[in-house]
Amino acid sequence: MAVSVDTVYQRVLAILNKEQRGYVTPQEFNLFANQAQLDIFEQYFYDINQFGRMPGNDTEFSDMLNILNEKINIFETNAAMTYGGVYWSTPANLYRLGTIVFDNITTSKSLYPVPNTVVTTTTQVEVERINYNEFLYINQSLLTKPTNSRPVFVASTLGYKVYGDAPLVIGVSCNYIKEPSQAAWAYQMVFGEALYNANESTDFELHPSEETELVIKILAFAGLVVKDIGMYQVASQISAQTNQQEKS
Amino acid sequence: MALINQNPEEYYLGPDGVWDSGDESYGNYQFVSIADIINNFMISHVGQDKLITKVRRTDVAYWAQRAIQEFSFDVLPQNKSIEIEVPPGLYMVLPQDYVNYTKLSWTDKGGIERIIYRTDLSSNPEAVTQNAAGEYTFANKKLILKAQSETLTRWNSGSSFPLGGPGGGNWDLTNNPDLLSLYAYGGRFGIDPENAQSNGTFYIDQVNGVIRFSSDIRGRIVTLKYISDGLGSLEDMTVHKFAMDAVVKHIAYSILSTRSNVQEYIVARFKKMASAARRNAKIRLSELKADLMSQVFRNQSKWIKH
Repeated sequence: MAVSVDTVYQRVLAILNKEQRGYVTPQEFNLFANQAQLDIFEQYFYDINQFGRMPGNDTEFSDMLNILNEKINIFETNAAMTYGGVYWSTPANLYRLGTIVFDNITTSKSLYPVPNTVVTTTTQVEVERINYNEFLYINQSLLTKPTNSRPVFVASTLGYKVYGDAPLVIGVSCNYIKEPSQAAWAYQMVFGEALYNANESTDFELHPSEETELVIKILAFAGLVVKDIGMYQVASQISAQTNQQEKS
Repeated sequence: MALINQNPEEYYLGPDGVWDSGDESYGNYQFVSIADIINNFMISHVGQDKLITKVRRTDVAYWAQRAIQEFSFDVLPQNKSIEIEVPPGLYMVLPQDYVNYTKLSWTDKGGIERIIYRTDLSSNPEAVTQNAAGEYTFANKKLILKAQSETLTRWNSGSSFPLGGPGGGNWDLTNNPDLLSLYAYGGRFGIDPENAQSNGTFYIDQVNGVIRFSSDIRGRIVTLKYISDGLGSLEDMTVHKFAMDAVVKHIAYSILSTRSNVQEYIVARFKKMASAARRNAKIRLSELKADLMSQVFRNQSKWIKH
């Protein structure tokens, strides 16, 4: 489930070289590729917001929210957060934080296997995001004060403070969207020509359906580099048309 | 998944495997916890394509607890009670989670609870110390108050058991000036029904947080039935299943009515839904059983002679 970086590069070159418009070097391509990938990737979140406000449909493959979620799910992952004494910090490859989860451990007694056996139960509960000024009020009200079964967190540049019955120091993890890997078209020189090196290359992580969009976006960037405003305009126009068709 | 998560052996014997040893949760199936209500609300009422697209769980928890408080006052059945033997000081300390009382009674030898009625004819005011000229006295810029008001002293002046001891007869106004029933007895213009009972009286001394009894209650076993707000402890934070729908609708209405940009007709709709659900819950929880009602209605054929 990835888009081959070589396929995209070859297509870009093929389209760009038609009528001898110019050439994009691998270094330039790699820069454009990641710019295009991030551009497409970031747009997912705004599209979900947009389509979330519209009534969906019940079709199996064409509900826009389902399509977008499928594209984003590729990057969705979870990992334990690390505690640094006061603050929790997120994994290094975090792009957008989703849900912080606390493993709330409770004990109870059970009849099995022998009477009064102490049983430990771990329940995963969502840690709710609140602003610091809200925390001051929430923490003072007995009705809203955070508990281990209803924890909250406050984020700052220093990290995340997670509060349950007391500041939580263990058992916190997060569900998040990771940053897309940097796409790279690697090569080795053979007889003066750059030949594709699959072992050193990194494919795009985007959903395969984004291949066309990647090519168009990279072409638009390439059009600027080779000073072919026509290429830029055509690529932008196609991109706009696709957007309009998808979103109307 | 079925709602019962214990097998019969676990339910009846509890974790210690001993019948009725106090660690069982007999009858807990009729209740649902506040945590379940909050989780169910978040699932069923919050999200995309729903009226409440986003809400903080803290807000839901707040409104859920407020719902339990409100419902505890007039919808949920009161199930709190405390029994004590009235001390010589003729008072009972209000329970820790007391909000208001529903009934106060003393228990006779047969275990029957006799209702003790509240009186408004006495109280325990703050008593100011005065000098010989009747002027108020001060210390550290504050009024000097007496340890006990004269009103209370006189109310409690029936300091010894009346003749016949507790439960006995031969009361008189000298020994028991606080017994209002004695004043009412044989009144010239007809008895005052409010005082026409011999179970004793009480009033609530809110300043000191105690219930004060008339002297005929001294030494008796007294039971206070009261309502709390349902939030005193985690174990209390449950709602009867009959009222679950009403609590959920109450939460939805509370959230929508305090939110900006919600059309008023939606707020009004939820207000009606919450109100109707609350009424239904009240009826369901009022224990109206057909057989009991028919027993009561059999009274209608009784002849009343004047």
